[in-house]
Amino acid sequence: MTLLPALAVFAAASLTNVLPQIDAKQHYSFGGSNLLAAQIQQGAPADVFASANTAIPQKLYDAGLVEKPVVFTRNALILIVPKSNPAHIHSAYDLTHDGVKLVVAAPGVPVGDYTRTVLHNLGLDAALSNVVSNENDVREVLAKVALGEADAGFVYTTDARTVRGKVATIGIRWSAQPIVEYAVAVVASGQHRAAARAFVAKLLQVAAQKKLQAAGFLRVR
Amino acid sequence: MRRTALAAAVFLATFVALAFLALPVCSIFLRVSPGRLAAQLGNPVVADALVVSLKTTVVAQALILLLGTPAAYMLASRRFRGRSLLVTLVELPLVLPPAVAGIGLLAAFGRSGLLHTSIPFTELAVVLAVAFVASPLYVRAAIAAFEGVDANVVAASRTLGAGPVRTFFRVVLPLARGGLVAGAALAFARGLGEFGATIMFAGSLRGVTETLPLAVYSQFNVDFDVALAVSALLVLVSAALLVTLKWLPSASTLRFRFVTSS
Repeated sequence: MTLLPALAVFAAASLTNVLPQIDAKQHYSFGGSNLLAAQIQQGAPADVFASANTAIPQKLYDAGLVEKPVVFTRNALILIVPKSNPAHIHSAYDLTHDGVKLVVAAPGVPVGDYTRTVLHNLGLDAALSNVVSNENDVREVLAKVALGEADAGFVYTTDARTVRGKVATIGIRWSAQPIVEYAVAVVASGQHRAAARAFVAKLLQVAAQKKLQAAGFLRVR
Repeated sequence: MRRTALAAAVFLATFVALAFLALPVCSIFLRVSPGRLAAQLGNPVVADALVVSLKTTVVAQALILLLGTPAAYMLASRRFRGRSLLVTLVELPLVLPPAVAGIGLLAAFGRSGLLHTSIPFTELAVVLAVAFVASPLYVRAAIAAFEGVDANVVAASRTLGAGPVRTFFRVVLPLARGGLVAGAALAFARGLGEFGATIMFAGSLRGVTETLPLAVYSQFNVDFDVALAVSALLVLVSAALLVTLKWLPSASTLRFRFVTSS
């Protein structure tokens, strides 16, 4: 039996629940993908970087900071409201009503950018004037809605499933959905690059893909 | 021989400690030129955060002084059962992790909290977060300052015919002034730096709840240079406060002489 080193896996906040199910032995650091990328740029000792989009890993790849990123899963956005639904929101079109407290992720955070794309695709740019807070990752949006402090927020469908019973979900039509692809890459300065490559390969294998899909993630097209 | 070795060790420890404390602060300024810093003050994100920070900290500070001063005086001048418990309670936010303060504020003032208010996400939420974490610094200093006022002077004022209110404003307050101002300055600096409770309780929205520390955090992953510039700004403001604090004792003794001679 070879003793494999525990890898430092920097991963998007939306992967918080599923990655430890796939591989419980690694040391995870979850957060906004852009925050994790900034940490890697500043020399944080990461071995693997899993982002909720492809643009950020591509940027790190272009800068020589990570190896070639691979898309390993997909996701979709959903609108959530607290179970009590204090602002009586029944569709995304209700988000423009006066006084709605909408919480989103900040621009630059993948889910924040996706949220703005969805609102734009729905012709609801005006809803952005109801934003009361720009959060730093999707789980902060989730927490503020699940807690009942915000009236509504956009998260990934997989996040909404982790707080069932606390939030109600409102679907977004497919034609308004952005392409949400998760890319993973081995960090070039990592101490355990072989093990990191094995971890990335593992994510693409059937067992891991089944767990991702069980958590609500979508198969790579 | 032994003595020189000891002296060298002390010198080395001092050097390491000072270098460790100074290095991160100096590094901020080495990485951002004064021109860059000045230019970032015109950056709308920074300007908005500066306004939010000053506004909320000033209002919080007013609340702290207005409510904290009588509370501190009461705790300093009365001896009653449960007094030390109350003092501990007042000091508790000082040692609480800011995230715990944020959860506590949500549990109390959140929409689904104990009092069911709609304060979260508003400027008032920032004010409350700042007041919660910063007030102990002032109240502690104020209690010590009031306790330091010579009871004989107070008694003399009363026997000479001054009422309790007049005695408080004309005798106690001027005598405690040095300690009060020092505590207020510390509380102000702590309030200006408040981050954890604010981000949890008030969220982060430019021009409303995004204070300077929140701007540092949100800009860290957008534009590191802006984060550096805002950090430099915060260092300068904090340093200015600390320097002011340093020459306060002399001001308070001047005041003391003035009071006793009049």
